[in-house]
Amino acid sequence: MDLLNQLQRQYTDFTTLLYQEGFVDDQFTQLQKLQDESSPDFVVEVVSLFFEDCEKLVNNMAKALEQQGVDFKQVDSHVHQLKGSSSSIGAARIKNVCIAFKTFCEAQNREGCLRCLQQVNHEHTQLKTNLQSLFTLERQIVANGGSIPGMQ
Amino acid sequence: MQMMQGNIWISLNPLGFAQGMTLVLWFQIRPSYGRAIFAPGTSSEQPNSNSQFRGLSVILADDDHVNRTVTKKLLEKLGCEVTAVSSGFECLSALSSAENSFMLVVLDLQMPEMDGFEVATRIRKFRSCNWPLIIAVTASAEDNVWERCLQMGMNGVIRKPVLLQAMEDELRRVLQRAGEGL
Repeated sequence: MDLLNQLQRQYTDFTTLLYQEGFVDDQFTQLQKLQDESSPDFVVEVVSLFFEDCEKLVNNMAKALEQQGVDFKQVDSHVHQLKGSSSSIGAARIKNVCIAFKTFCEAQNREGCLRCLQQVNHEHTQLKTNLQSLFTLERQIVANGGSIPGMQ
Repeated sequence: MQMMQGNIWISLNPLGFAQGMTLVLWFQIRPSYGRAIFAPGTSSEQPNSNSQFRGLSVILADDDHVNRTVTKKLLEKLGCEVTAVSSGFECLSALSSAENSFMLVVLDLQMPEMDGFEVATRIRKFRSCNWPLIIAVTASAEDNVWERCLQMGMNGVIRKPVLLQAMEDELRRVLQRAGEGL
């Protein structure tokens, strides 16, 4: 099997794994479908945007949860935003943590919130690493003259 | 009802309300998609869905950067010309600017400061006609959201996360309804 075939095979296997493990969902596929010649780096750009926003929101949540009198409404609004953006790019695990996170906010449960925050951080790091690997594979495939399986 | 270069929306849309009924005629070369939109029951084919919405000028209001970027791209993929803003205020201000003539507003309902409902109310208040068309985007799964939207004078609703097919279907439905009303 030549290099290109190997890379493409790796790509397909890795993508399948990401979906199976719930890191990404159909919305991510949708994102890939939106990429075209007019915006060839669309997915990478949106994903980067998401990770930047995610970091900011997490920092804001952490600060809010550190306060003596926690403003749970404030935390909830940050979680709500993160839930929305993670959902729109298909970051399924992060979105699911946000769903749980919201119930802790509503219950004004600081401990529960802190645990969710930790999980968000964890999922953020994992997803970032995984997607970086995916994008690297894509670049390698293209560099070797091939096309990315499943994309235009 | 005039059809100027196939761009029939403009002739129905009196701008410059402060000065009375001022018709702004746009002499732009646009493919005449007017007929394609008003053709009833064209839901069967559309393999190249871009063409039916080409030239549709849309203003997209969503406070979240990621969502705004994704939805904008989605609408552009369908052929629309999109102006994206991040608040209700910016949306209203863009609409009231005389040079702009938007046919459709895609509105996130859950925005801070001024939510989508209020934006829609204000839009309908200052315009004597049913333009621009308004499609709400909401994460809410509640049944009465659609009713509430209708009451506010909106024309359609889409659930988040927005799917290409869902947006295409709703756009088509809203435009066909608008066409039937003429």
